[in-house]
Amino acid sequence: MRVWVNGTEAVLAPGMTVRHALIQVGLLPEVAAGKKVYDAWGNEVGLEGGLQDGAELWVK
Amino acid sequence: MRRSRWAWTLGVLLAVLLVATAAGAASLRILHINDFHGFAQPDTPLGTQQEQGGAAYLATRIKELRRERPTLLLAAGDMIQGNNLANLFQGKSMVVLMNALGLDAMVVGNHEFDFGQEVLRERIKEARFPVLGANVEGLPGLKPYVINKVGRLRVAVIGVVTPETATATHPRNVVGLKFEAPEAAVRRCLPRVKPGADLVVVLSHLGYAADRELAAQVPDIDVIVGGHSHTRLTEPVRVGNTIIVQAWEHGKVLGVLDVTVEKGKITRIQGRLEDISPAVGREDPAVARLVAVYSREVDKKLEKVMGQAAVELDGQNVRRQETNLGNLVADIIRQTAGADAALINGGSLRTSIPAGPIRVKEIYNVLPFDNYIAAVRLTGAQLRAALEHGLSGLEEGAGRFPQVSGIAFTFDPGAPPGSRVREVTVGGQPLVPEKEYTVATNDFLVAGGDGYVAFKDALGAEGGYQTTGGMLNSPRLSYNDPGRWLRDVVGEYIQTQGTVAPRVEGRIKALSK
Repeated sequence: MRVWVNGTEAVLAPGMTVRHALIQVGLLPEVAAGKKVYDAWGNEVGLEGGLQDGAELWVK
Repeated sequence: MRRSRWAWTLGVLLAVLLVATAAGAASLRILHINDFHGFAQPDTPLGTQQEQGGAAYLATRIKELRRERPTLLLAAGDMIQGNNLANLFQGKSMVVLMNALGLDAMVVGNHEFDFGQEVLRERIKEARFPVLGANVEGLPGLKPYVINKVGRLRVAVIGVVTPETATATHPRNVVGLKFEAPEAAVRRCLPRVKPGADLVVVLSHLGYAADRELAAQVPDIDVIVGGHSHTRLTEPVRVGNTIIVQAWEHGKVLGVLDVTVEKGKITRIQGRLEDISPAVGREDPAVARLVAVYSREVDKKLEKVMGQAAVELDGQNVRRQETNLGNLVADIIRQTAGADAALINGGSLRTSIPAGPIRVKEIYNVLPFDNYIAAVRLTGAQLRAALEHGLSGLEEGAGRFPQVSGIAFTFDPGAPPGSRVREVTVGGQPLVPEKEYTVATNDFLVAGGDGYVAFKDALGAEGGYQTTGGMLNSPRLSYNDPGRWLRDVVGEYIQTQGTVAPRVEGRIKALSK
Protein backbone atom coordinates (compact mmCIF):
# COMPACT_ATOMS: atom_id res chain seq x y z
CA MET A 1 0.00 0.00 0.00
CA ARG A 2 1.02 3.60 -0.48
CA VAL A 3 0.61 6.15 2.27
CA TRP A 4 1.84 9.72 2.61
CA VAL A 5 3.77 11.13 5.54
CA ASN A 6 4.12 14.92 5.54
CA GLY A 7 3.45 14.68 1.81
CA THR A 8 6.16 12.08 1.14
CA GLU A 9 5.11 8.72 -0.26
CA ALA A 10 5.86 5.54 1.68
CA VAL A 11 5.44 2.11 0.09
CA LEU A 12 4.46 -0.53 2.62
CA ALA A 13 3.54 -4.20 2.78
CA PRO A 14 0.08 -5.27 3.98
CA GLY A 15 -0.09 -5.31 7.76
CA MET A 16 2.49 -2.56 8.19
CA THR A 17 1.77 0.28 10.57
CA VAL A 18 2.37 3.95 11.24
CA ARG A 19 5.78 3.02 12.65
CA HIS A 20 6.86 1.43 9.34
CA ALA A 21 5.76 4.50 7.40
CA LEU A 22 7.83 6.73 9.67
CA ILE A 23 10.86 4.44 9.35
CA GLN A 24 10.67 4.74 5.59
CA VAL A 25 10.52 8.51 5.49
CA GLY A 26 13.06 8.87 8.28
CA LEU A 27 10.75 10.59 10.77
CA LEU A 28 10.74 8.06 13.62
CA PRO A 29 13.56 9.91 15.44
CA GLU A 30 11.39 13.03 15.48
CA VAL A 31 8.66 11.13 17.28
CA ALA A 32 11.26 9.80 19.73
CA ALA A 33 12.18 13.45 20.32
CA GLY A 34 8.59 14.33 21.22
CA LYS A 35 6.70 15.04 18.01
CA LYS A 36 3.35 13.36 17.48
CA VAL A 37 1.68 11.70 14.51
CA TYR A 38 -1.72 12.82 13.22
CA ASP A 39 -4.11 11.46 10.62
CA ALA A 40 -5.78 13.37 7.78
CA TRP A 41 -8.46 14.66 10.17
CA GLY A 42 -5.97 15.92 12.75
CA ASN A 43 -6.42 13.07 15.23
CA GLU A 44 -3.34 11.73 17.00
CA VAL A 45 -2.54 8.12 16.08
CA GLY A 46 -0.33 5.53 17.76
CA LEU A 47 2.78 4.09 16.15
CA GLU A 48 1.27 0.62 15.84
CA GLY A 49 -1.85 1.99 14.20
CA GLY A 50 -3.12 0.09 11.17
CA LEU A 51 -3.11 1.90 7.85
CA GLN A 52 -5.13 1.71 4.71
CA ASP A 53 -4.04 2.45 1.18
CA GLY A 54 -3.87 6.18 0.54
CA ALA A 55 -3.69 7.20 4.20
CA GLU A 56 -2.20 10.58 5.07
CA LEU A 57 -0.08 11.09 8.15
CA TRP A 58 1.43 14.22 9.56
CA VAL A 59 4.31 14.39 11.99
CA LYS A 60 4.42 17.64 13.92
CA MET B 1 -44.70 28.71 55.15
CA ARG B 2 -41.19 28.76 53.69
CA ARG B 3 -40.84 25.02 54.36
CA SER B 4 -44.05 24.21 52.50
CA ARG B 5 -42.95 26.33 49.51
CA TRP B 6 -39.73 24.28 49.30
CA ALA B 7 -41.68 21.06 49.55
CA TRP B 8 -43.96 22.23 46.75
CA THR B 9 -40.96 23.13 44.52
CA LEU B 10 -39.31 19.77 45.18
CA GLY B 11 -42.55 18.00 44.38
CA VAL B 12 -42.85 19.81 41.06
CA LEU B 13 -39.27 18.94 40.15
CA LEU B 14 -39.82 15.28 40.97
CA ALA B 15 -43.02 15.26 38.96
CA VAL B 16 -41.22 16.76 35.95
CA LEU B 17 -38.51 14.14 36.29
CA LEU B 18 -41.04 11.34 36.51
CA VAL B 19 -42.95 12.62 33.49
CA ALA B 20 -39.71 12.84 31.50
CA THR B 21 -38.78 9.31 32.49
CA ALA B 22 -42.22 8.01 31.74
CA ALA B 23 -42.00 9.64 28.31
CA GLY B 24 -39.25 7.14 27.54
CA ALA B 25 -35.91 8.90 27.98
CA ALA B 26 -33.32 6.33 28.96
CA SER B 27 -29.61 6.63 29.29
CA LEU B 28 -26.72 4.32 28.70
CA ARG B 29 -22.99 4.56 29.15
CA ILE B 30 -20.61 2.85 26.74
CA LEU B 31 -17.07 2.38 28.04
CA HIS B 32 -14.60 1.32 25.39
CA ILE B 33 -11.01 0.30 24.86
CA ASN B 34 -9.20 -0.96 21.76
CA ASP B 35 -5.78 -2.19 20.61
CA PHE B 36 -4.69 -3.12 24.11
CA HIS B 37 -1.94 -5.44 22.77
CA GLY B 38 -1.10 -6.84 26.19
CA PHE B 39 -0.24 -3.53 27.86
CA ALA B 40 -1.51 -4.57 31.28
CA GLN B 41 1.38 -2.81 32.98
CA PRO B 42 1.86 0.95 32.73
CA ASP B 43 4.15 1.90 29.86
CA THR B 44 6.21 4.92 28.86
CA PRO B 45 5.56 5.42 25.13
CA LEU B 46 8.27 6.56 22.72
CA GLY B 47 8.77 10.30 22.88
CA THR B 48 7.20 10.71 26.32
CA GLN B 49 8.51 10.75 29.89
CA GLN B 50 5.37 9.68 31.67
CA GLU B 51 3.98 6.26 32.44
CA GLN B 52 0.55 5.72 30.96
CA GLY B 53 -2.08 3.00 31.16
CA GLY B 54 -2.12 0.03 33.50
CA ALA B 55 -4.96 -2.48 33.74
CA ALA B 56 -5.33 -2.11 37.52
CA TYR B 57 -5.92 1.65 37.19
CA LEU B 58 -8.19 1.12 34.21
CA ALA B 59 -10.25 -1.34 36.26
CA THR B 60 -10.73 1.15 39.09
CA ARG B 61 -12.04 3.80 36.74
CA ILE B 62 -14.30 1.34 34.95
CA LYS B 63 -15.87 0.35 38.28
CA GLU B 64 -16.43 3.98 39.28
CA LEU B 65 -18.05 4.90 35.99
CA ARG B 66 -20.20 1.79 35.99
CA ARG B 67 -21.75 2.76 39.31
CA GLU B 68 -23.16 5.94 37.83
CA ARG B 69 -25.48 4.49 35.20
CA PRO B 70 -26.28 1.39 33.14
CA THR B 71 -23.09 0.57 31.26
CA LEU B 72 -21.67 -1.56 28.47
CA LEU B 73 -17.93 -2.26 28.41
CA LEU B 74 -16.69 -2.97 24.88
CA ALA B 75 -13.31 -3.88 23.39
CA ALA B 76 -12.66 -3.12 19.73
CA GLY B 77 -10.04 -5.74 18.96
CA ASP B 78 -6.31 -6.49 19.03
CA MET B 79 -6.47 -7.25 22.72
CA ILE B 80 -4.61 -10.56 23.13
CA GLN B 81 -1.41 -10.19 21.06
CA GLY B 82 1.48 -7.77 21.38
CA ASN B 83 3.96 -7.66 24.22
CA ASN B 84 5.46 -10.44 26.36
CA LEU B 85 2.63 -10.34 28.87
CA ALA B 86 0.27 -11.37 26.07
CA ASN B 87 2.42 -13.39 23.70
CA LEU B 88 4.13 -15.69 26.19
CA PHE B 89 0.66 -16.97 27.11
CA GLN B 90 -0.71 -16.91 23.57
CA GLY B 91 -3.19 -14.31 24.73
CA LYS B 92 -4.73 -16.32 27.60
CA SER B 93 -3.48 -13.78 30.16
CA MET B 94 -5.39 -11.03 28.38
CA VAL B 95 -8.64 -13.00 28.27
CA VAL B 96 -8.33 -13.62 32.02
CA LEU B 97 -7.81 -9.90 32.48
CA MET B 98 -10.78 -8.96 30.30
CA ASN B 99 -12.93 -11.41 32.26
CA ALA B 100 -11.86 -9.61 35.43
CA LEU B 101 -12.71 -6.24 33.90
CA GLY B 102 -16.20 -7.55 33.19
CA LEU B 103 -16.17 -7.01 29.46
CA ASP B 104 -19.58 -7.19 27.77
CA ALA B 105 -18.35 -7.87 24.23
CA MET B 106 -15.25 -7.81 22.08
CA VAL B 107 -14.68 -7.91 18.35
CA VAL B 108 -11.75 -9.87 16.95
CA GLY B 109 -8.95 -7.75 15.57
CA ASN B 110 -6.53 -8.86 12.88
CA HIS B 111 -3.94 -9.71 15.54
CA GLU B 112 -6.32 -12.04 17.36
CA PHE B 113 -5.59 -14.52 14.54
CA ASP B 114 -1.80 -14.38 15.00
CA PHE B 115 -1.57 -17.45 17.24
CA GLY B 116 -3.60 -19.53 14.80
CA GLN B 117 -7.24 -20.59 14.73
CA GLU B 118 -6.95 -23.38 17.29
CA VAL B 119 -5.57 -20.99 19.89
CA LEU B 120 -8.16 -18.37 19.03
CA ARG B 121 -10.95 -20.91 19.46
CA GLU B 122 -9.56 -21.70 22.92
CA ARG B 123 -9.39 -18.01 23.84
CA ILE B 124 -13.01 -17.56 22.70
CA LYS B 125 -14.08 -20.48 24.92
CA GLU B 126 -12.26 -18.97 27.90
CA ALA B 127 -13.89 -15.58 27.43
CA ARG B 128 -16.87 -14.88 29.71
CA PHE B 129 -18.13 -12.43 27.11
CA PRO B 130 -19.18 -12.82 23.47
CA VAL B 131 -16.44 -12.48 20.86
CA LEU B 132 -17.84 -10.99 17.68
CA GLY B 133 -16.99 -11.16 13.99
CA ALA B 134 -19.99 -10.78 11.69
CA ASN B 135 -17.83 -10.65 8.57
CA VAL B 136 -15.72 -13.71 9.41
CA GLU B 137 -16.97 -16.98 8.02
CA GLY B 138 -15.61 -20.32 9.18
CA LEU B 139 -14.50 -19.76 12.78
CA PRO B 140 -16.72 -21.55 15.32
CA GLY B 141 -17.38 -19.56 18.46
CA LEU B 142 -17.48 -16.16 16.82
CA LYS B 143 -20.87 -14.50 17.02
CA PRO B 144 -22.04 -11.95 14.46
CA TYR B 145 -23.79 -9.82 17.04
CA VAL B 146 -25.17 -9.77 20.53
CA ILE B 147 -28.16 -7.95 21.99
CA ASN B 148 -27.73 -6.74 25.58
CA LYS B 149 -30.32 -5.31 27.92
CA VAL B 150 -28.63 -2.33 29.52
CA GLY B 151 -30.90 -0.58 32.00
CA ARG B 152 -34.09 0.06 30.07
CA LEU B 153 -32.42 -0.14 26.67
CA ARG B 154 -31.80 -3.05 24.39
CA VAL B 155 -28.50 -2.54 22.64
CA ALA B 156 -27.42 -4.54 19.59
CA VAL B 157 -23.67 -4.85 19.12
CA ILE B 158 -22.45 -6.07 15.71
CA GLY B 159 -18.74 -6.88 15.36
CA VAL B 160 -16.65 -6.42 12.20
CA VAL B 161 -12.93 -6.79 11.55
CA THR B 162 -10.79 -5.50 8.72
CA PRO B 163 -10.97 -7.82 5.71
CA GLU B 164 -7.26 -7.12 5.24
CA THR B 165 -6.73 -9.60 8.07
CA ALA B 166 -6.56 -12.15 5.26
CA THR B 167 -3.29 -10.62 4.02
CA ALA B 168 -2.04 -8.97 7.21
CA THR B 169 -1.36 -12.19 9.08
CA HIS B 170 0.36 -15.42 8.04
CA PRO B 171 -1.84 -17.37 5.60
CA ARG B 172 -1.81 -20.45 7.87
CA ASN B 173 -3.74 -18.41 10.46
CA VAL B 174 -6.65 -17.79 8.14
CA VAL B 175 -6.89 -21.06 6.19
CA GLY B 176 -10.53 -21.78 5.41
CA LEU B 177 -11.74 -18.42 6.67
CA LYS B 178 -13.57 -15.89 4.57
CA PHE B 179 -13.50 -12.19 5.37
CA GLU B 180 -16.51 -10.42 3.93
CA ALA B 181 -16.78 -6.70 3.24
CA PRO B 182 -17.88 -5.16 6.57
CA GLU B 183 -20.62 -3.12 4.95
CA ALA B 184 -22.28 -6.26 3.56
CA ALA B 185 -22.06 -8.05 6.91
CA VAL B 186 -23.57 -5.11 8.80
CA ARG B 187 -26.36 -4.74 6.25
CA ARG B 188 -27.13 -8.44 6.65
CA CYS B 189 -27.29 -8.18 10.44
CA LEU B 190 -29.34 -5.00 10.64
CA PRO B 191 -32.78 -6.44 9.75
CA ARG B 192 -32.26 -9.14 12.37
CA VAL B 193 -31.24 -6.86 15.22
CA LYS B 194 -32.98 -3.59 14.55
CA PRO B 195 -36.57 -4.62 15.40
CA GLY B 196 -35.51 -5.70 18.87
CA ALA B 197 -33.00 -2.99 19.65
CA ASP B 198 -33.21 0.59 20.84
CA LEU B 199 -29.63 1.25 19.77
CA VAL B 200 -27.37 -0.32 17.14
CA VAL B 201 -23.66 -0.28 17.89
CA VAL B 202 -21.02 -1.55 15.47
CA LEU B 203 -17.92 -2.71 17.31
CA SER B 204 -15.34 -2.23 14.62
CA HIS B 205 -11.75 -3.24 14.07
CA LEU B 206 -11.60 -1.52 10.69
CA GLY B 207 -9.71 1.70 11.42
CA TYR B 208 -11.05 5.24 11.61
CA ALA B 209 -11.06 5.97 7.88
CA ALA B 210 -13.02 2.78 7.18
CA ASP B 211 -15.38 3.55 10.05
CA ARG B 212 -16.20 6.87 8.41
CA GLU B 213 -16.88 5.08 5.11
CA LEU B 214 -19.08 2.51 6.85
CA ALA B 215 -21.06 5.25 8.60
CA ALA B 216 -21.59 7.04 5.28
CA GLN B 217 -22.68 3.85 3.52
CA VAL B 218 -24.94 2.36 6.20
CA PRO B 219 -27.01 5.10 7.82
CA ASP B 220 -28.84 2.81 10.27
CA ILE B 221 -25.85 2.47 12.58
CA ASP B 222 -26.21 4.60 15.71
CA VAL B 223 -22.70 4.27 17.12
CA ILE B 224 -19.40 2.87 15.83
CA VAL B 225 -16.92 1.95 18.54
CA GLY B 226 -13.69 1.63 16.63
CA GLY B 227 -10.15 0.32 16.76
CA HIS B 228 -7.25 -0.79 14.52
CA SER B 229 -5.93 2.66 13.55
CA HIS B 230 -5.04 3.49 17.21
CA THR B 231 -6.80 6.81 16.78
CA ARG B 232 -7.14 9.18 19.70
CA LEU B 233 -10.61 10.56 19.06
CA THR B 234 -10.82 13.09 21.86
CA GLU B 235 -14.54 13.57 21.27
CA PRO B 236 -17.23 11.70 19.35
CA VAL B 237 -17.38 12.40 15.62
CA ARG B 238 -20.65 12.44 13.73
CA VAL B 239 -20.81 11.12 10.16
CA GLY B 240 -24.39 11.33 8.89
CA ASN B 241 -26.55 9.79 11.62
CA THR B 242 -23.70 7.83 13.16
CA ILE B 243 -21.50 8.64 16.13
CA ILE B 244 -17.91 7.34 15.87
CA VAL B 245 -15.61 6.89 18.86
CA GLN B 246 -12.18 5.31 19.32
CA ALA B 247 -9.91 5.18 22.38
CA TRP B 248 -6.32 5.40 21.11
CA GLU B 249 -4.34 2.32 22.25
CA HIS B 250 -2.80 0.21 25.05
CA GLY B 251 -5.33 1.25 27.69
CA LYS B 252 -3.73 4.69 27.90
CA VAL B 253 -7.23 6.13 27.85
CA LEU B 254 -10.71 4.88 28.59
CA GLY B 255 -13.43 5.92 26.16
CA VAL B 256 -16.66 7.12 27.79
CA LEU B 257 -19.79 7.70 25.72
CA ASP B 258 -23.03 8.68 27.45
CA VAL B 259 -26.11 8.28 25.29
CA THR B 260 -29.69 9.29 25.99
CA VAL B 261 -32.36 7.60 23.89
CA GLU B 262 -35.91 8.84 23.67
CA LYS B 263 -38.68 7.38 21.52
CA GLY B 264 -36.12 5.30 19.63
CA LYS B 265 -33.85 8.22 18.85
CA ILE B 266 -30.62 9.44 20.33
CA THR B 267 -31.42 12.79 21.86
CA ARG B 268 -28.16 13.46 23.64
CA ILE B 269 -24.60 12.25 23.46
CA GLN B 270 -21.58 13.18 25.50
CA GLY B 271 -18.24 11.55 24.95
CA ARG B 272 -14.69 11.86 26.19
CA LEU B 273 -11.43 10.02 26.65
CA GLU B 274 -10.22 9.74 30.21
CA ASP B 275 -6.47 9.43 30.73
CA ILE B 276 -5.38 6.32 32.59
CA SER B 277 -2.09 6.43 34.45
CA PRO B 278 -0.57 5.06 37.65
CA ALA B 279 -1.56 6.83 40.84
CA VAL B 280 -1.11 5.83 44.46
CA GLY B 281 -4.20 4.17 45.88
CA ARG B 282 -5.95 3.91 42.53
CA GLU B 283 -5.11 0.27 41.77
CA ASP B 284 -7.90 -2.27 41.67
CA PRO B 285 -6.51 -4.95 44.02
CA ALA B 286 -7.92 -7.96 42.19
CA VAL B 287 -6.69 -6.86 38.77
CA ALA B 288 -3.34 -5.76 40.22
CA ARG B 289 -2.92 -9.27 41.66
CA LEU B 290 -3.65 -10.83 38.28
CA VAL B 291 -1.12 -8.59 36.53
CA ALA B 292 1.47 -9.41 39.20
CA VAL B 293 0.87 -13.15 38.82
CA TYR B 294 1.34 -13.02 35.06
CA SER B 295 4.35 -10.71 35.36
CA ARG B 296 6.04 -13.25 37.63
CA GLU B 297 5.16 -15.95 35.12
CA VAL B 298 6.79 -13.85 32.38
CA ASP B 299 9.98 -13.69 34.46
CA LYS B 300 9.90 -17.48 34.86
CA LYS B 301 9.34 -18.01 31.16
CA LEU B 302 12.26 -15.74 30.31
CA GLU B 303 14.49 -18.03 32.41
CA LYS B 304 13.41 -21.13 30.50
CA VAL B 305 16.29 -22.91 28.76
CA MET B 306 15.46 -23.36 25.07
CA GLY B 307 18.63 -25.19 24.05
CA GLN B 308 22.39 -25.17 24.16
CA ALA B 309 24.99 -23.16 22.30
CA ALA B 310 27.96 -25.41 21.57
CA VAL B 311 30.00 -22.28 20.82
CA GLU B 312 29.74 -18.61 21.68
CA LEU B 313 27.27 -16.89 19.34
CA ASP B 314 28.99 -13.71 18.19
CA GLY B 315 26.81 -10.63 18.27
CA GLN B 316 29.69 -8.21 18.74
CA ASN B 317 31.09 -8.19 15.20
CA VAL B 318 27.84 -8.27 13.26
CA ARG B 319 28.36 -4.72 11.93
CA ARG B 320 31.71 -5.50 10.31
CA GLN B 321 31.88 -9.15 9.24
CA GLU B 322 30.11 -12.46 8.90
CA THR B 323 29.46 -13.99 12.32
CA ASN B 324 28.06 -17.33 13.41
CA LEU B 325 25.11 -15.61 15.13
CA GLY B 326 24.37 -13.66 11.97
CA ASN B 327 24.43 -16.91 10.00
CA LEU B 328 22.17 -18.68 12.51
CA VAL B 329 19.51 -15.99 12.51
CA ALA B 330 19.68 -15.43 8.73
CA ASP B 331 19.37 -19.20 8.18
CA ILE B 332 16.32 -19.40 10.43
CA ILE B 333 14.72 -16.50 8.58
CA ARG B 334 15.41 -18.02 5.16
CA GLN B 335 14.15 -21.46 6.17
CA THR B 336 11.04 -20.07 7.85
CA ALA B 337 10.14 -18.02 4.80
CA GLY B 338 11.07 -20.80 2.37
CA ALA B 339 13.13 -18.21 0.51
CA ASP B 340 16.10 -18.48 -1.83
CA ALA B 341 18.14 -16.15 0.35
CA ALA B 342 18.03 -14.03 3.47
CA LEU B 343 19.56 -10.69 4.26
CA ILE B 344 19.31 -8.89 7.59
CA ASN B 345 20.99 -5.86 9.05
CA GLY B 346 23.75 -6.76 11.50
CA GLY B 347 22.49 -4.01 13.76
CA SER B 348 19.33 -6.00 14.45
CA LEU B 349 21.44 -8.41 16.52
CA ARG B 350 22.21 -6.57 19.74
CA THR B 351 24.49 -8.84 21.76
CA SER B 352 26.29 -12.19 21.95
CA ILE B 353 25.21 -15.42 23.64
CA PRO B 354 27.91 -17.28 25.56
CA ALA B 355 28.43 -21.00 24.98
CA GLY B 356 26.16 -23.03 27.23
CA PRO B 357 22.44 -22.93 28.01
CA ILE B 358 20.37 -20.50 25.93
CA ARG B 359 17.51 -19.06 27.91
CA VAL B 360 14.57 -17.21 26.42
CA LYS B 361 15.87 -13.95 27.86
CA GLU B 362 19.20 -14.34 26.05
CA ILE B 363 17.35 -14.66 22.75
CA TYR B 364 15.20 -11.64 23.64
CA ASN B 365 18.34 -9.64 24.45
CA VAL B 366 19.80 -10.48 21.04
CA LEU B 367 16.53 -9.58 19.29
CA PRO B 368 14.80 -7.01 21.52
CA PHE B 369 12.81 -5.32 18.77
CA ASP B 370 9.31 -6.37 17.72
CA ASN B 371 10.47 -7.43 14.28
CA TYR B 372 8.84 -10.08 12.16
CA ILE B 373 9.82 -12.07 9.08
CA ALA B 374 8.84 -11.05 5.56
CA ALA B 375 10.19 -12.06 2.15
CA VAL B 376 10.11 -10.09 -1.07
CA ARG B 377 10.82 -11.09 -4.66
CA LEU B 378 13.88 -9.10 -5.72
CA THR B 379 15.72 -9.16 -9.00
CA GLY B 380 19.37 -10.13 -8.91
CA ALA B 381 20.22 -6.50 -9.63
CA GLN B 382 18.15 -5.33 -6.65
CA LEU B 383 19.76 -7.92 -4.39
CA ARG B 384 23.22 -6.80 -5.49
CA ALA B 385 22.25 -3.16 -4.84
CA ALA B 386 21.05 -4.14 -1.37
CA LEU B 387 24.39 -5.77 -0.62
CA GLU B 388 26.20 -2.66 -1.87
CA HIS B 389 24.11 -0.55 0.45
CA GLY B 390 24.83 -2.88 3.34
CA LEU B 391 28.56 -2.46 2.78
CA SER B 392 28.45 1.29 2.36
CA GLY B 393 28.92 2.04 6.05
CA LEU B 394 31.90 -0.20 6.77
CA GLU B 395 34.09 2.61 8.05
CA GLU B 396 31.72 3.59 10.85
CA GLY B 397 30.58 0.03 11.64
CA ALA B 398 27.04 0.90 10.58
CA GLY B 399 24.20 -1.42 11.58
CA ARG B 400 23.26 -1.92 7.92
CA PHE B 401 26.14 -4.39 7.43
CA PRO B 402 24.46 -7.49 5.97
CA GLN B 403 24.29 -10.92 7.55
CA VAL B 404 23.16 -13.42 4.93
CA SER B 405 21.89 -16.90 4.21
CA GLY B 406 21.78 -18.66 0.85
CA ILE B 407 24.09 -15.93 -0.43
CA ALA B 408 27.87 -15.78 -0.62
CA PHE B 409 29.77 -12.75 -1.80
CA THR B 410 33.16 -11.11 -1.88
CA PHE B 411 33.80 -7.43 -1.50
CA ASP B 412 36.60 -4.92 -1.71
CA PRO B 413 36.59 -2.85 1.49
CA GLY B 414 38.99 -0.34 -0.08
CA ALA B 415 36.67 0.47 -2.99
CA PRO B 416 34.34 3.48 -2.74
CA PRO B 417 30.91 2.90 -1.16
CA GLY B 418 28.49 1.70 -3.80
CA SER B 419 31.08 -0.30 -5.76
CA ARG B 420 32.45 -2.72 -3.22
CA VAL B 421 30.58 -5.92 -4.09
CA ARG B 422 32.44 -8.34 -6.36
CA GLU B 423 31.26 -11.93 -6.87
CA VAL B 424 27.83 -12.93 -5.62
CA THR B 425 26.26 -16.36 -5.61
CA VAL B 426 22.79 -17.43 -4.55
CA GLY B 427 22.31 -21.10 -3.78
CA GLY B 428 25.84 -21.68 -5.07
CA GLN B 429 25.07 -20.21 -8.50
CA PRO B 430 26.28 -16.84 -9.82
CA LEU B 431 23.77 -14.06 -9.29
CA VAL B 432 21.76 -13.28 -12.43
CA PRO B 433 20.76 -9.59 -12.54
CA GLU B 434 17.47 -10.19 -14.34
CA LYS B 435 16.45 -13.29 -12.40
CA GLU B 436 13.97 -13.03 -9.54
CA TYR B 437 14.91 -14.35 -6.10
CA THR B 438 12.82 -14.59 -2.97
CA VAL B 439 14.76 -12.77 -0.27
CA ALA B 440 13.71 -13.07 3.35
CA THR B 441 14.42 -10.34 5.85
CA ASN B 442 12.82 -8.49 8.74
CA ASP B 443 9.99 -5.97 8.46
CA PHE B 444 12.38 -3.14 9.39
CA LEU B 445 14.32 -3.57 6.15
CA VAL B 446 11.16 -4.10 4.08
CA ALA B 447 10.01 -0.72 5.37
CA GLY B 448 13.27 0.84 4.22
CA GLY B 449 15.02 0.85 7.60
CA ASP B 450 18.77 1.47 7.73
CA GLY B 451 18.42 3.03 4.29
CA TYR B 452 17.63 -0.24 2.46
CA VAL B 453 15.41 0.66 -0.49
CA ALA B 454 15.48 -2.60 -2.47
CA PHE B 455 12.52 -4.20 -0.73
CA LYS B 456 10.20 -1.20 -0.82
CA ASP B 457 11.24 -0.45 -4.40
CA ALA B 458 10.28 -3.99 -5.39
CA LEU B 459 6.90 -3.66 -3.64
CA GLY B 460 6.29 -0.25 -5.19
CA ALA B 461 7.25 -1.20 -8.75
CA GLU B 462 4.63 -1.72 -11.42
CA GLY B 463 2.60 -4.80 -10.56
CA GLY B 464 3.74 -4.64 -6.95
CA TYR B 465 0.16 -4.32 -5.75
CA GLN B 466 -3.07 -5.95 -6.83
CA THR B 467 -6.58 -5.60 -5.59
CA THR B 468 -8.30 -8.96 -5.36
CA GLY B 469 -11.85 -9.19 -4.06
CA GLY B 470 -11.63 -5.64 -2.75
CA MET B 471 -8.44 -6.41 -0.85
CA LEU B 472 -5.00 -5.04 -1.54
CA ASN B 473 -2.23 -7.60 -1.78
CA SER B 474 1.37 -7.63 -2.91
CA PRO B 475 2.32 -10.40 -5.33
CA ARG B 476 5.98 -9.55 -4.70
CA LEU B 477 5.58 -10.27 -1.01
CA SER B 478 6.18 -14.02 -0.85
CA TYR B 479 6.04 -14.32 2.95
CA ASN B 480 4.57 -12.11 5.66
CA ASP B 481 4.02 -12.96 9.31
CA PRO B 482 3.37 -9.71 11.23
CA GLY B 483 1.98 -11.47 14.27
CA ARG B 484 4.96 -13.61 15.19
CA TRP B 485 8.08 -11.92 16.46
CA LEU B 486 11.39 -13.03 15.00
CA ARG B 487 12.77 -13.66 18.50
CA ASP B 488 10.05 -16.24 19.13
CA VAL B 489 10.75 -17.96 15.80
CA VAL B 490 14.44 -18.14 16.74
CA GLY B 491 13.55 -19.51 20.18
CA GLU B 492 11.35 -22.22 18.71
CA TYR B 493 14.10 -23.18 16.25
CA ILE B 494 16.69 -23.52 19.02
CA GLN B 495 14.26 -25.56 21.10
CA THR B 496 13.67 -27.89 18.18
CA GLN B 497 17.39 -28.27 17.46
CA GLY B 498 18.43 -28.77 21.09
CA THR B 499 22.00 -27.69 20.41
CA VAL B 500 23.18 -25.12 17.91
CA ALA B 501 26.74 -24.76 16.67
CA PRO B 502 26.73 -22.28 13.80
CA ARG B 503 30.03 -21.46 12.13
CA VAL B 504 31.53 -18.71 10.05
CA GLU B 505 31.51 -20.35 6.63
CA GLY B 506 32.99 -17.79 4.29
CA ARG B 507 29.65 -16.39 3.13
CA ILE B 508 31.08 -12.87 3.31
CA LYS B 509 34.71 -12.48 2.27
CA ALA B 510 36.68 -9.26 2.27
CA LEU B 511 39.26 -9.24 -0.50
CA SER B 512 42.67 -8.26 0.78
CA LYS B 513 44.05 -4.96 -0.50
